[in-house]
Amino acid sequence: MTEPNAAFKSTIAPTGVAATSERRSVLETRGIAKQFDATQALDDISLSLYPGEVHALLGENGAGKSTLIKIITGVVQPDRGEILLAGDRVSLRSAADAQLAGIAAIYQEPLLFPDLTVAENIFVSHQNRGAVVRWARMYQEAEAILAELGVAIDVRSPARGLTLAAQQSVEIAKAISLNVRVLIMDEPTASLSAHEVAQLFKLVRRLRDNGVSILFVSHRIEEVFEIADKVTVFRDGRLISTRPKSETSPQRSIADMVGREMGLLKPRPLSPRGDQLLSVRGLGRDGAFEDVSFDLHRGEVLGFGGLIGAGRTDVGLALFGIEPATAGTITLNGKEVTIRSPREGMDLGIAYVSEDRRQLGLSLPMSISANITLPMLHQYLDRFGLIRHDKEQATAEAFRKRLSIRTSSVDLAVAKLSGGNQQKVMLSKWLNTRPSVLILDEPTRGIDVGAKAEVHAIIAELAAEGIGIILISSDLPEVLAMSDRVLVMREGRAMAIFERKDADQETVMTAAMGQSSAVAGEVAA
Amino acid sequence: MSWLQRHIRPEQIRELSLLLLIIVAVLFFGSMIDGYYTSRTFNRIVSSIAIITIVAVGQTLVVLTRNIDLSVGSIVGCTAYAVGTVLGHYPGISPLLAVVMAVALGSLIGVVNGALVAWGRVPSIIVTLGTLAIFRGLLVDLSNAKTVTTDSLPPWLVNLPRLNMFSLFGLDIPALFLMSVIVVLIFHLGASYLSLGRRFYAIGSNPDAAALIGLPIRRLVFLAFVLSGSLAGLAGFVTLARFGNITVESGRGLELQVVAAVVVGGVNIFGGSGTVIGAMLGAIMIGTLEQSLYRLQISEFWRDAILGLLILLAVASDAVILQRLRALWGRADLKYVAPAGKPSLEGAHIP
Repeated sequence: MTEPNAAFKSTIAPTGVAATSERRSVLETRGIAKQFDATQALDDISLSLYPGEVHALLGENGAGKSTLIKIITGVVQPDRGEILLAGDRVSLRSAADAQLAGIAAIYQEPLLFPDLTVAENIFVSHQNRGAVVRWARMYQEAEAILAELGVAIDVRSPARGLTLAAQQSVEIAKAISLNVRVLIMDEPTASLSAHEVAQLFKLVRRLRDNGVSILFVSHRIEEVFEIADKVTVFRDGRLISTRPKSETSPQRSIADMVGREMGLLKPRPLSPRGDQLLSVRGLGRDGAFEDVSFDLHRGEVLGFGGLIGAGRTDVGLALFGIEPATAGTITLNGKEVTIRSPREGMDLGIAYVSEDRRQLGLSLPMSISANITLPMLHQYLDRFGLIRHDKEQATAEAFRKRLSIRTSSVDLAVAKLSGGNQQKVMLSKWLNTRPSVLILDEPTRGIDVGAKAEVHAIIAELAAEGIGIILISSDLPEVLAMSDRVLVMREGRAMAIFERKDADQETVMTAAMGQSSAVAGEVAA
Repeated sequence: MSWLQRHIRPEQIRELSLLLLIIVAVLFFGSMIDGYYTSRTFNRIVSSIAIITIVAVGQTLVVLTRNIDLSVGSIVGCTAYAVGTVLGHYPGISPLLAVVMAVALGSLIGVVNGALVAWGRVPSIIVTLGTLAIFRGLLVDLSNAKTVTTDSLPPWLVNLPRLNMFSLFGLDIPALFLMSVIVVLIFHLGASYLSLGRRFYAIGSNPDAAALIGLPIRRLVFLAFVLSGSLAGLAGFVTLARFGNITVESGRGLELQVVAAVVVGGVNIFGGSGTVIGAMLGAIMIGTLEQSLYRLQISEFWRDAILGLLILLAVASDAVILQRLRALWGRADLKYVAPAGKPSLEGAHIP
């Protein structure tokens, strides 16, 4: 087998975990900082990884874990700070650099070449295996590496069609063949079955016992506490704590994760609960979510808390008919309904404001007025079927005043507006359909503080008008401040529904991360 | 898993069935056309196949990288015309030098395509659609629409199509056809046994993963276009030898036949999979159809329409057929076994 780290290796006396007293860190970051636009993604991160150790990284979505991984793997360059490899300063300018330095990453969705064979996938990043492919030898070596890992895969078959667990095994084999010293695992268990997770953990422990340093990122807190030796918590781009597992607990880690100030967020006054508007029982869609039940009342804001990927958006898409549900019942105003397309959703008075403004929400080159009237265009036609611009403009003007959209004219292209004003245009577009149920998916993501407060005021106003609002948000303080009740989802299931008074950051995050002990509150009120 | 499934991949089944289809086609046309099974028919068909094959090999490399080269017909026309003109003026030029000139000119044009696609970040379908027209326009302009005629060419070139290397089952194998087979063998071996060749597959199969492991994607795409250009240049030489009379129309519409050959040959139009041998089988199918339909006096327009239909059928059925075959073969499953030997993982030693 070729050895990218030949020079490095020659200085090594093979040790295992043994020499614990004076261990040198294999990888260290000092004062790493990174800014994206206005967001400080990482601020002064100093973290040391030691050989023979599983180091877990915990944090909410957007806490900065992914950015750190990208910096360590050379994909993104830090603004400030340095990276030390076995004590020496290095600069990792590309993913290939990091790989040569013995740093490899395995992602939730493995990045294999589907048309290349398993063996080729393992060796594809070896730059120095010679110009000629010696197939027989490569198959043999691939089989040997997989055998060491305790797995058997047909190395001659293409990677296309391998199960996710098999793909991960190939990725791990690839990392090992590259003499990996630091292995980063980014949510490796997210799509694995319990049995596969157990096998993966066996493998992780074997690697650890052989002196590999493993950085383990996961949202499943039980798993973290099963596998990790050390736990580091990130919050808002900062490193909050690094503790040996023996000195911390799931509860303490969650407290570190959510210790965010409520800041300027003023809680919205609770509304008197109106008549029942929407009742959902046992709703599910294959592979996305299952058995979700809740009620929504007039004038109520029902918050959907949880981590990204927990299935909250999928529930919203099902209610609106974009990705129709395959199980369960939806009852609207006392009548059971089926919703198979957005048109049907709209006709029933349901509106869904997408989390993705640019892709799904707005047509950026089109004018503000054209965007607002688009879903209801049939109401803006004259008797020849031509669009009545005056009527369009009147509607747009009305919304411009009502939501205070700051623009010189409603004929301006939406692309020219700030994020907050784009969000208001998108809200206008869906309010124009006169919904009785409004689903807001991450309505304040990526907009500034002032615009955020305005959007919150609009939400409060709409609820006061009697609209039932489902607020999907990964911004926990926002969910807690705006909602009358909070439904928490985890891995496609509704974990709990909390009344506002029972919900705080820790209880919600605990339910979202699956600490079953803390799951309280009634599911399906 | 049966013996068959262990030793043959679904992709190879596809190639074998194409071979079968070719035989069926030959039997069919043989029953339709009097005097089909003659050495003259054979000679015509393989001469036609030689040109399509050589260009299809280069096209295969380009398509593997998730690109397409539509300008090949114009490259063939330009090189055939240019080399023909030079040979008309300097008949003493050696055959080898003439071939080198054709290949060099083709590569040069390929450099233009490759640079625009790889570094200009313009989609290849647009770049080569543009250069298809531009190169043809330049040819018409620079040549003053004059024609290269057979009597201006040196005798060795005029006689080249009738040069036979050896006989197989009583059929003479023309040298030009043999040359195309050699090209196929060289590139097939290169694509399957060189790291470079495998990287063409890699970048087409998953560009994101390729970027992540630091493969030089742009240089590889560039190289694919240069190779496509140089092979089109070589095909230009073959065209010159075969027809002798080269007008500004020469090689026009060849891209349709070549793309048809490549996709009928099982090269995935979305990149990443397919073989050079497959492309040759595709070229044999297309060449046989072309010449046989011509013999049946079916108009050029209908022949093109049939090619278009074949492209659509091949691309549409490809996904379905391969999916079925792969499902039949089953996925390569993961089994957990006892770890081999003592833990002696390479690279697990830390200072």
